[in-house]
Amino acid sequence: MTLPARITLRTVTSLLVISLLAFAVISAMPSDPVAIAIRAWNLPPDGATVAGLRSQWGLDRPFLERYGAWLARFVRGDWGLSFRTGEPVLAEFLQRLPLTMTMALSGLALAPLLAVPLGFLAALRPSGWIDRATRGLAVFVQAVPSIWLGLILLYVLGVQLRWIRPFTRDWNGLILPVALIALHSLAVLTRVYRRDLLDVTRQPFFRTALAKGLTRAGALWRHGHAHALYAMISAFRAEASWAVGSTAALEVLFGLPGIGQFLVESIAARDYPVLQAYVMVVAAWLLVLNAGVALCLAWLGPSRP
Amino acid sequence: MGTMIRALRASAVVLASVAGFATGAHAADPLRVGAAFITSGLDPAKGSNGWALASHGIGENLFSVDRDGVLVPELAASAERVDELTWRVRLKPGRQFSDGTPVSTEAVSAGLAHTMANNKAALATGGTLRFKAWDPLTIEVTTERPVPLIQALFAEWPMIVYGLKADGGAVFSGPYAVQSFKPDAEIELIANPHFEGAQKRSPVTYRKFADAQALTLALEAGELDLAFGLPAESIARLKNDPELTIQSFPVGYQYLAYLNTRTPALADARVRRAIDLAFDRQQLATAIHGGLPATGAYAPYFPFAGKEARPTDAAKAAALLDEAGWTAGADGKRSREGEALTLTVLAYPQRPDLVAMLPVIKAQLAPLGIAVETKIVENANDVAASGDYDVFLWAQHTAPSGDPAFFLNSTFRTGAGLNFTGYASPDFDAILDGFATESDPAKRAEIAARAQQKLFEDAPVSFLLSPVWHVGLSKALSGYEPWGSDYHVLRADIGESTAAPLD
Repeated sequence: MTLPARITLRTVTSLLVISLLAFAVISAMPSDPVAIAIRAWNLPPDGATVAGLRSQWGLDRPFLERYGAWLARFVRGDWGLSFRTGEPVLAEFLQRLPLTMTMALSGLALAPLLAVPLGFLAALRPSGWIDRATRGLAVFVQAVPSIWLGLILLYVLGVQLRWIRPFTRDWNGLILPVALIALHSLAVLTRVYRRDLLDVTRQPFFRTALAKGLTRAGALWRHGHAHALYAMISAFRAEASWAVGSTAALEVLFGLPGIGQFLVESIAARDYPVLQAYVMVVAAWLLVLNAGVALCLAWLGPSRP
Repeated sequence: MGTMIRALRASAVVLASVAGFATGAHAADPLRVGAAFITSGLDPAKGSNGWALASHGIGENLFSVDRDGVLVPELAASAERVDELTWRVRLKPGRQFSDGTPVSTEAVSAGLAHTMANNKAALATGGTLRFKAWDPLTIEVTTERPVPLIQALFAEWPMIVYGLKADGGAVFSGPYAVQSFKPDAEIELIANPHFEGAQKRSPVTYRKFADAQALTLALEAGELDLAFGLPAESIARLKNDPELTIQSFPVGYQYLAYLNTRTPALADARVRRAIDLAFDRQQLATAIHGGLPATGAYAPYFPFAGKEARPTDAAKAAALLDEAGWTAGADGKRSREGEALTLTVLAYPQRPDLVAMLPVIKAQLAPLGIAVETKIVENANDVAASGDYDVFLWAQHTAPSGDPAFFLNSTFRTGAGLNFTGYASPDFDAILDGFATESDPAKRAEIAARAQQKLFEDAPVSFLLSPVWHVGLSKALSGYEPWGSDYHVLRADIGESTAAPLD
């Protein structure tokens, strides 16, 4: 079986297993969505109301029957109706997901593009100012919560300098969230790339390359880049997971109508169809990214020293 | 040279027309409104949507409370009592919902009956109401319990008026109509074409800001025309900004602490009274940069409000705790039969003032030997209803209909829909029964005073502060006057987005 076929099979199997586990965990969450709805909506707490909601939401059916029905509908594009809003979950996601994905993907895409030149320059002159600056940046973004940094940047760039308009509903409003995601990933990826480049400088073949007349920059690029890229792409996986979590917090901070705020309210309401759909979307996002990374690593693999 | 001059002239003409276009377009620009809350949906019968939809300027009631706190007709013209349980409510002629259908007796009756069946908060004052068309403009209303002032009942927040559409949706009559709605995020409003003055009303983009600091920054960055509910600590800074107008206004809300009578420690009224006595309200007001120590259940400007601030007496509080068996150990911490006196105190982020009060509450209870764990919860109504707390800091408009009865009936009557404390007192319920038959405002104020006295004694709640709220305005809305707490954020008199102050 070819590598892409193996990865596809693994991804689909993983999604199925995750869907079943998520369905079980979400169903077992403390607090009953019917009881929550009755309280939140001031419904009469009588047996008829409870039975009516349980039947309407399919909660009166056995677990496996519910799961089977959900899965059959889900793969056909019917993600059910939100308990809380009564609207189709897929429509709610399609309204919000593009914003969330644009934010996360733009931030993640920007980071490696900048990390390679910065990491390269840092490795070219260890302890030079670029090296020191990227080290400082890495420590800073790891130590400071992105929410806090977001507030500071909002105040300085949006209020004091008015260089950006952080609360508009166009691309302006995405600059800071994307920059914050990119900054976090950039700091991490730059240090990983730089570290693995420097590993190469301690190898005998690197000294040979220098002896043959290659410049340090030329030797680093020719013999170290692929190796360092390999490590950086591995680290990218962790950053993709981090971005999933951070988008929710940044959406709340910047008042962006993405999936984050919707999720927060849906957790509180135990809105099973929305929570299940969110788990599936995040799982798919991570599995697809992992698959992409695995393919990249396979492609780069033979050129590792 | 001549070519250059012609080019300059042409550029000037283009620039002038662009500028002219920009000026002309300004009045049609949407007003940008930000607040910490947004309706959770467009179904007016669900939860507190009735309040939110009226607050957003989408819906109206039959009666309402004006800027002076006076009960006035809104969609109704008048109401008259026929007998103890029967009233006739006359509608104003010529009113229409935003889809052009008339606000008829049938439509109003069907909508209110739907609310009665689906929201038990609507039953708090008069029980289940029945509606019958008496003539084309008059509805005969029969209450389950005697209601001395049906106007106040119809001004209560669950009683929003709407027409039920064939698809189960609702259509409203307020100055704005919904163009689009993203739950938990934003709602876009357009002028209701069937509401007087529609042509002068700008569209509105209303956004929810879950973070109070972000709301403040959005106003400062020039991205909002109206920021409702600014955090108190930012007011001094914002007042120095020449681009902004900051309005502070007293509200009908009270900040209070629900004391859960179902928990082992707080089941004892002596412990609850001790906690009530431990609160230093002046210190709490300082912590949130404004407001007055509460005198009772109502804001001081209501005629039925108490006159004296609630007392603080640490020595008496300590004595009450000793009497209840909660004695202080060598470390000053109180316990009873080996169990420490530890309370979980909650607040919710939609009211940042309450969050700011949490550490002060903790510090005030510590000298008494009471340990406090503080927690911020998103879904306040749900947690409060679940009873999973000891003390819950809460913001509540206690006289939304200009009458004292609704809050007491809906929140402290035994088994009431919003009775989050589990308080059950036949004596208290008997006092409230007096509201059902008494229509004289002075005598209703006396009943309210007796009910409050009973609450002070039994202490299922501690009334903390009568707050002041803050609204930030851009130059486009610098004439906006906030009133009616958050019950009327968007109103018919907001008008266009214009740099000139409104009349």
